[in-house]
Amino acid sequence: MFKKKITLKILLLLIFSDILETLLNLFFKKSALLDNGFVVNKFSDVFIFLKDMAFCPYLWLGICIAFLTFVIWSTILSRIDLSVAVPIASFSYIFIPISSIIFLHEKVTLLRWTGIFFILAGVIFVSLSSKEKEAL
Amino acid sequence: MQKGIPLILFLISLTSICDTVNQLFLKSAINSLTMPSPITIPKVVKFIFKLICTPRLWLSFLFSTLSLCFWLFILSRADLSFAFAADSMHYVFIAVASYFILKEKVGPKRWIGTILITIGIALISLS
Repeated sequence: MFKKKITLKILLLLIFSDILETLLNLFFKKSALLDNGFVVNKFSDVFIFLKDMAFCPYLWLGICIAFLTFVIWSTILSRIDLSVAVPIASFSYIFIPISSIIFLHEKVTLLRWTGIFFILAGVIFVSLSSKEKEAL
Repeated sequence: MQKGIPLILFLISLTSICDTVNQLFLKSAINSLTMPSPITIPKVVKFIFKLICTPRLWLSFLFSTLSLCFWLFILSRADLSFAFAADSMHYVFIAVASYFILKEKVGPKRWIGTILITIGIALISLS
């Protein structure tokens, strides 16, 4: 196992991957929003929905960012432990609601923020627990 | 509670399952090969070529495409701030599946984390 300390470069890469993940989901959401009011009633409607999607530039932009994120994430994981990387990468749980409020005009209630913080705490606990395995 | 939350939660769980299966295939595809060392360009090219010839990699791609289709459909219906947070339920699936199917030992920190995520998902579903 790697036990290397986190460097500024890795930290910046991690934050960059958070921002990319936020962008990726914003683009996906934008592409899905184009057919506002689209209702899928029959199973065949699903194919029409997917066909419309495939011609949306936001979707392809999102997929390109997904590839970039994958490359950056692989680089990060080759340098530091997953249990260190995941809690820092969880910033996207905060970035996404904030960007949803700004760019998508979604309303995030106090209850939803509370839920998000519970999930964030849970994700940090789960990723820290990989160290438990060595102790068991 | 928003209209149609049960359906959305069901669809998000499908995405999470597809993601989990995708990760399992990807991991086993990469594990079946040995990483080149020392890293030279011809060796890396050979490694990538071998990886492309692994059927499990294609199965992994298939599941990630499926997961993307579900995800787009979810996003057309639900708020991004809700869907992204609810997608973390795959942590719960993996913990439960590791315990019951793979008979792995799941430590107290992991259970605490899993329970916190479940509470969080319940709270955002109510909002």
